[in-house]
Amino acid sequence: MISLFERYDASADRFFDEVLSAEMKPRDHYVKMVHRFGQFSLEDIRTRRQIVNVFFRNQGITFTVYGVEDGIERIFPFDLIPRIIPANEWHCIEQGLIQRITALNEFLTDIYSDQKILKDRVVPAELVLGSKHFRREFVGVRPPLGVYIHVTGSDIIRGLDGRYMVLEDNLRTPSGVSYMLQNRQALKRAFPVLFDRYKVRPIDNYPQELLRTLQEISPTSRPEPNVVVLTPGIYNSAYFEHSFLARQMGVELCEGRDLVINNNKVYTRTTRGLQRVDVIYRRVDDDFLDPLVFRPDSKLGVAGLINAYRKGNVALANAIGTGVADDKVIYSFVPKIIRYYLGEDPLLENVETWLPSNPKEMKYILENLDRLVVKAANESGGYGMLVGPESTEEERERFAEKIVANPRNYIAQPTISLSRHPSLFNDNELVGCHIDLRPYVLFGKSPVIVPGGLTRVALKRGSLVVNSSQGGGSKDTWVIDE
Amino acid sequence: MLSRVAESLFWMSRYVERAENTARFLEVNLNLLLDLNDITAIDHPNYWNPLIRVTGDPASFMERYPEFNAHTVTDYLVFNRQNSNSINASIGMARENARSIIDSISSEMWEQINNLYHFLQTVTPQQVHNDPFSFYREIKNASHLFQGITDNIFSRTEGWEFIQIGKYLERADNTARLIDVKYHMLLPREGREHDPVHDSFDTIQWMAVLKSCSALEAFRKVYLSKIDPENILWFLVLDRTFPRSIAFSIYAAQEALWRISGSSRHRYANNADRLIGKMEAELIYTTVEDMYNKGLHSFLEEIEQGLNRIGEQIHLLYFAYHTPKIEPNDIHEALPFTGLAGGRANWSQSQQQQ
Repeated sequence: MISLFERYDASADRFFDEVLSAEMKPRDHYVKMVHRFGQFSLEDIRTRRQIVNVFFRNQGITFTVYGVEDGIERIFPFDLIPRIIPANEWHCIEQGLIQRITALNEFLTDIYSDQKILKDRVVPAELVLGSKHFRREFVGVRPPLGVYIHVTGSDIIRGLDGRYMVLEDNLRTPSGVSYMLQNRQALKRAFPVLFDRYKVRPIDNYPQELLRTLQEISPTSRPEPNVVVLTPGIYNSAYFEHSFLARQMGVELCEGRDLVINNNKVYTRTTRGLQRVDVIYRRVDDDFLDPLVFRPDSKLGVAGLINAYRKGNVALANAIGTGVADDKVIYSFVPKIIRYYLGEDPLLENVETWLPSNPKEMKYILENLDRLVVKAANESGGYGMLVGPESTEEERERFAEKIVANPRNYIAQPTISLSRHPSLFNDNELVGCHIDLRPYVLFGKSPVIVPGGLTRVALKRGSLVVNSSQGGGSKDTWVIDE
Repeated sequence: MLSRVAESLFWMSRYVERAENTARFLEVNLNLLLDLNDITAIDHPNYWNPLIRVTGDPASFMERYPEFNAHTVTDYLVFNRQNSNSINASIGMARENARSIIDSISSEMWEQINNLYHFLQTVTPQQVHNDPFSFYREIKNASHLFQGITDNIFSRTEGWEFIQIGKYLERADNTARLIDVKYHMLLPREGREHDPVHDSFDTIQWMAVLKSCSALEAFRKVYLSKIDPENILWFLVLDRTFPRSIAFSIYAAQEALWRISGSSRHRYANNADRLIGKMEAELIYTTVEDMYNKGLHSFLEEIEQGLNRIGEQIHLLYFAYHTPKIEPNDIHEALPFTGLAGGRANWSQSQQQQ
């Protein structure tokens, strides 16, 4: 029997491989796993794949692909080989994220009150005030505990030298945490022995931590604050996650039409009459929350919700207007933001970013389009981006026109060869696939991170895009005690 | 429980029951076909017209089809999605309701409705015409399987009560209409007033109604073979042991309503309980003679109207809970989910999940 790893090509000269070092030896924290997988035959792997598939199917873990008629639901591709993060590396990630989120929260507090950072010209005022996600109406409205970003999921990558860097901050409605939790359950069923050999830190308390965070931000003094999850409904791609989290927390899953406002207080409509709501974990965009304030044609929101929020009768997680801080253009200023508010150097670095709104950088971008990744400032999910080395001449020309026409709307970054992790391709060979990492930060009275996250993996051969809408899959992610 | 969830459970159950009963309506004529040796008469419009009269809207039928016959009526009642009572439309709406509360029902329930829906997509009119019995049996079995699954794995919470109410209100209404089909079926009497077989015709028609309610065997156990119209009427309307009779269905719905509101006999908590209690009391003391005196058709119509009023009260009490400030079109929003709600579905998809 040939061990799976003996045939594995790490290409360690071109990529940072998570498992094997440049000398083609397993890194310390992967030794036991490589050994264990070495004992498996392909038959063993298939048996365990079966266990995992049955688990996912029974749980109904699916996502919906946009643009497909009738909303086809697919099982989220799952790779059997776990990603392992040693305690010391996790400590850096954790500290770095807490620092970053704390600073970004300060930033939001500031731009929605005194706007000192703009007056001090650390961040150009026009970039903030002109952002599509800046909510002028909420200047002066202070959310409970002064916290804006209760749930965040920053995307972290590793480049060629293995350093962790933040690729983007998702400060509005980060998704995927249900996959993090379910991946762990699935893998525990498939590889119980392996878990025994590692001290994997548990993540199963995430729903309780989320509920605690949400209850902490309750603006009312009622002893058992009533929390609900607000979903756009069954047609949303992340509906499974919304209903999963609601069930795990034991709270009601609501649509906009389940809520009514009376006397600036929020209630659910139940078979027993109206029930007061204190906190809404909303997975609906700002624009759709309240037809009286934002889009008048929205049927997803609740008329009067914003007034109830302003009066301090209900808390929203995340708060309104957080999108201004995860704008990809603002992203490039985050290191400055950290220094400005905390007086510290950033513990986690940014990816180098050029802004076309700066004429010099615009020139550089247009001259180097074939080597850069260009992203639209306000898109997510891998939509609206150009991957230079993989693009055609024609695509680059079209993108150049768009950049010139609307420089504020784009950023450019070098093409980073994301770190790779051996993944089971079709369950019969190991292939190095690019990965990233999305830990989830909860912020109520203080920031908390459950040790782990969602590792997304680009399961198309050679692809750099890990988003689920673009054929990406995921891995279980282990943070281990040394 | 959220009003929206309760309402979707109610309608999910109701639409499944409706599909089953539409299959039963169509079976009345099939049973006649088998029992009468008068094959030519079976395509006579007067056999098919009553089905449309009691299940739907003859005007909308006439807009689409030239005449009443086996083909057109079957097409209208099975396949036509414009007819909101057709089997296709009912199952489509049952599925939409189930889908909107997919996390509140068990996956087995969802799979059953979903399978039925996909089965219907593959059936062609030709298949139904070639072997109608198999097709209707398939629909009835699918409905029974769904309610059986629900019975065995759905927790006896408030949600379960709404499923029961939906099922039994629909069934009471449909059994009343099924009997009404017989009332409208005047054809065989025409020109045969003094025909010695006239009475046997009448009996055969009644037997067809019994069979369509899956009631023939149960009826025989009570009445042996004394198949006369009075006995059959008593059995289908007033019998308290047969689960498809009107009285049984109303009593079952009433019990579910009581469990929700805490009402009991002699003590009602709300208008729905009051109206259904009144109807039950009336049925207890009604005789077949009373029905004839009132006129069978009027009697059945009164039951249907009473059931509608009970449905309205349930809607107001449990589903449309609202404060006076809400605009009328908000209430419209709370109405059952009928088909893909264009706007909301599109917006729901457009919500960015980072």
